[in-house]
Amino acid sequence: MSALDNKKSSYIKKNKKVSFTFDGKKYYGYKGDTIASALLRNNVRLIARSFKYHRPRGIYTCGIEEPNAIVQILNEHNEPNARATVKQIYEGMKVDSQNRWPSLNLDIGSINNLLSPMFSAGFYYKTFMGPKGFWKKIYEPIIRRTAGLGKPPKEFRSKSIHQNHNVDIVIVGAGLSGLIAARKLIDTEYDVLLLEQDSFLGGVLKNSNKVEQINNQEVNKWIKETERLIKISTNIKILKNSLVTSYNFTNHLIALEDKFAGKAIDTSKSELTLHKIRTTHTILANGHIERFISFRNNDLPGVMLASSFEKYIHRYGVIPETNPVIFTNNSTTVTLLKSLVDLGHKPVAYVDARDKNKIGKKLLTYLKKNNIPFYFNAEIEGCDGNKKVETISIRKNKNKIIKVKSSMLCVSGGINPDIHLFTQSKGLVKWDDKLITFKPDVPFQNTITIGSVSGNYNYEKTHDEINNKLSFLKPKNIEMKIKINDTNNFNIKELWETRHEKKSNWSKSFIDLHNDVTTKDLKQAVVEGFDRIEHLKRFTTNSMGTDQGKISSINSLGIVSKILKKEISEVGTTTYRPPYAPLSFSAIAGRNTYEFYDPQRKTPIHNWHINNKAIFEDVGQWKRPWYFKEHDSETMHQAVQRESKQTRQTAGILDGSTLGKIEIKGKDALEFMNLMYTNPFTKMKPMTSRYALMLGEDGMIKDDGIVCKFNDKHFIATTTSGGAPKVLADMEEYLQTEWPHLQVYVNSITEQFTTFNISGPKSRDIMSKVFTEVDFSNENFPFMTFKVFNYKGTEARIMRASFTGELGYEIYITPNHGLELWKRIFHHGNVFDLVPYGTETMHLLRAEKGYVVIGQETDGTVTPIDLNFNWMIGKKKKDFIGKRSLTRSDTAREDRKQLVGIVPLDKSEFIEEGQHVVERERLPNPIKTPVEYLGHVSSSYHSPNLNHCIAMAMIKGGNKLMGKKLFISSSYGTKNIAVEVVSPVFIDPENKRLTS
Amino acid sequence: MILINCPYCGERDQSEFSNGGEAHVARPENSDSLNDKDWGQYVFYRDNPKGIFYERWVHSHGCRKWFNAVRNTATDEILKIYKVDEKTPKIDSFTNTLKTPSGEPKVGSGNFTVKK
Repeated sequence: MSALDNKKSSYIKKNKKVSFTFDGKKYYGYKGDTIASALLRNNVRLIARSFKYHRPRGIYTCGIEEPNAIVQILNEHNEPNARATVKQIYEGMKVDSQNRWPSLNLDIGSINNLLSPMFSAGFYYKTFMGPKGFWKKIYEPIIRRTAGLGKPPKEFRSKSIHQNHNVDIVIVGAGLSGLIAARKLIDTEYDVLLLEQDSFLGGVLKNSNKVEQINNQEVNKWIKETERLIKISTNIKILKNSLVTSYNFTNHLIALEDKFAGKAIDTSKSELTLHKIRTTHTILANGHIERFISFRNNDLPGVMLASSFEKYIHRYGVIPETNPVIFTNNSTTVTLLKSLVDLGHKPVAYVDARDKNKIGKKLLTYLKKNNIPFYFNAEIEGCDGNKKVETISIRKNKNKIIKVKSSMLCVSGGINPDIHLFTQSKGLVKWDDKLITFKPDVPFQNTITIGSVSGNYNYEKTHDEINNKLSFLKPKNIEMKIKINDTNNFNIKELWETRHEKKSNWSKSFIDLHNDVTTKDLKQAVVEGFDRIEHLKRFTTNSMGTDQGKISSINSLGIVSKILKKEISEVGTTTYRPPYAPLSFSAIAGRNTYEFYDPQRKTPIHNWHINNKAIFEDVGQWKRPWYFKEHDSETMHQAVQRESKQTRQTAGILDGSTLGKIEIKGKDALEFMNLMYTNPFTKMKPMTSRYALMLGEDGMIKDDGIVCKFNDKHFIATTTSGGAPKVLADMEEYLQTEWPHLQVYVNSITEQFTTFNISGPKSRDIMSKVFTEVDFSNENFPFMTFKVFNYKGTEARIMRASFTGELGYEIYITPNHGLELWKRIFHHGNVFDLVPYGTETMHLLRAEKGYVVIGQETDGTVTPIDLNFNWMIGKKKKDFIGKRSLTRSDTAREDRKQLVGIVPLDKSEFIEEGQHVVERERLPNPIKTPVEYLGHVSSSYHSPNLNHCIAMAMIKGGNKLMGKKLFISSSYGTKNIAVEVVSPVFIDPENKRLTS
Repeated sequence: MILINCPYCGERDQSEFSNGGEAHVARPENSDSLNDKDWGQYVFYRDNPKGIFYERWVHSHGCRKWFNAVRNTATDEILKIYKVDEKTPKIDSFTNTLKTPSGEPKVGSGNFTVKK
């Protein structure tokens, strides 16, 4: 009635005791135990509550395919959804069950099971349709709380690193066939990577006694010897604890290695390594997975797959139950039977669905000899018990049911080649009538399948198969004599679900244990018209759990094919998608987390900004001062108003280092610039600068900036802070692909120059004090010219330009001198009330002057004509990018959205950015039909210098609407704000301040 | 993720490259003399075939060089890579060696099989 140790474990170290807790209670296991094997050792059967019905669930399998025993690891930052059948225990591990409240034993949510008629297939779609608003406020929160898995981890952690491999051959799986293949490739010319998901090699050899001897050696000895030979070889590397999760195009495989299998995590080290593997050939030796059979209450704790039971005995040295019932439809369970008998135990009953003649004389004699009650041509009707298996009903023949008592029922419904990775690689599979399963057919990539994944269940012949399939690699000849425990003639009777009696509402026959899908749901879905397997899957959520239906998806095809009266091969399989098993986001993220995911770019003045109470804004990756707080209680509005006013009264300075800068040099630089920008540069005098526009071929504005011309062979262009990489890339593209005959070099110099923009009526005075050797008089340094001079041994450049409408200079200097110069400017500027300002003030000041910002006034649908930038277009130029598009019928329309200025009629009102420009004073409430709108507000600020709101808008036919009264919608109500359409230049339209 | 053999650097991961769309779409020399339709054809229209496709790539996180590739869009198989100034390989020099993975397998996608 209870678990027993098997002294002859192939793996567990019985001399090392390990303690851990499950739901707060302390248990002991051995080093090497998984949570599942340790709990079985302690006779703990109830592990979890199911997804939907909250039914009691136990350990169903012994590996990655586990649908039930999914737990939360508390001491690993609350890591959810760990498979108890895979995760190894370590000293002090804290494990909790999931999806239950208040406790595993008494779970309130299990009332769902009694309400189950409500929760049948598609219930989410049908039940929660109304009333309006209920989904978000009531249904969803309740469903989220009761349905589902574990709780999310406490915080996101960076815990993985990525590693790349380039090899000739990857072998996935180090079981019998994987090891033979590896051994044959020892010291060949190939680089080989052998990947094993477990922490030891051997696979089926350690999980069972199916293979007795290899080359007259005990299998464990053979594994040891093979591992030693591989390790001393020069060309094969073994990665243990490494699960292949995806098999992508061009033989690109992803494997996840657990560096802390069986150990407590060390947060100072990376726990996981994500291996990205490129290979020429992939050898899939990843074996098979056993499937179950559906019967009444086939989910009760105590029901377990037969081969998993066998695995617990041999691998973990625990016999979960000395007297179980074995239920099978195939020949693979014989070894389990023998294992039990060899250990001095015997099953309560051996139930075989096959006919007597299929079972074979040998087994029948064995059963009789050992006095084991057996039933052929029989089925399990179902099982009953309180949160565990107690009574098992065997249907002896059509109407005769007998009951036996046992706490465990071992089930085998046949075995499936694990074709998941093979189909991920886009290989085609075919149905095998003899094996009653899908097996690999035509590979799409350089993929070779060997062993049971290829549908070869005959261990004796594994070596012949490998010899045959790998012959093109010219591997080494080795001697292989494999002695097996039982006959190799795999045979199986098709059986997906047994006939069962209706007992109560509690009785269910499951097809998907993970997502609580019953066989009844499948039938109902087909009745409702979801008769295609991909639709049926989504409607019922069958095989959509995190286990992806590893033990049940073929069964569902079998059941559906019976309902549809079709061949299974006609029904087809659903698509197997990566990952093979769940992997955490942090595994994928690797080191690309936090500051490494999105690096911050800082200007050389950054620390000064911090010390002067700057609040920062993100512009691309740059940190730019948004505004500076004069004192802690100053609001953003107050600060911006102060900065803006002071700049126009005295002077202000902006750290413009983030501005993109590109140097253009070469024999044909002038011709190139004429082609890239709309402006004509030919007649432009050396040492002058110009505001310039760059278009796409569609005629839409892409970027702007100031172009400085040194001479016909040398230009420097600035770009917007966010647009610099794209502008440089575009220049490179055209130079390489369209005009390779032009001899031009382009180079980013954004970070080679720190840039300050100083402007305001006092800026000339300040500049004269800072750069005493430079003549800043209007005659000798007019607007839109620049000078280059020596500053402390480096070349510096001052340009007279302005983005505020005031007298202004831009200083370009090597970053090493940046901070020192910035401080020096303040040293001289303080007497003139120089104020540092941020990007918000920059925006406000430019809006007062009617200057546009790319990405604010423009959105990729705006031409220079729409912004009244006709003066910037070199119409006499033969060609430039986007030129022809400016005369396309669509771009030449007069009713396109055009840039206008807008002021509220009531000067106390404020216009919001993004609001619609309409002709109606009031909007209907509610709005039932679309309201015709003219355009949108692109920028809006409260101007401290005019003391009312100023705005810019893009409106249809705006040029013709000057002086007209229109309305702007508002987020505060249905009443719109009355405005007047005006010129977008609000301050100094004659450019007196700019040029004097 | 496919492997791309940059003609200047060698085989690199796809993540180092950017795709530049259809290759051999020459920028018209005399755009002024083109009508709206012909100019629109150049600006807005590109081929998107299932099968063999001549396309442009740039090694944007590498040497920043543009080059051309012939790729089977159905299988992602890169059949040829050549520099911008090299001769365009003829289409009949390529044979489809791979069947499309997304195209109508006998088994593999329920939708296709049930459609029969």
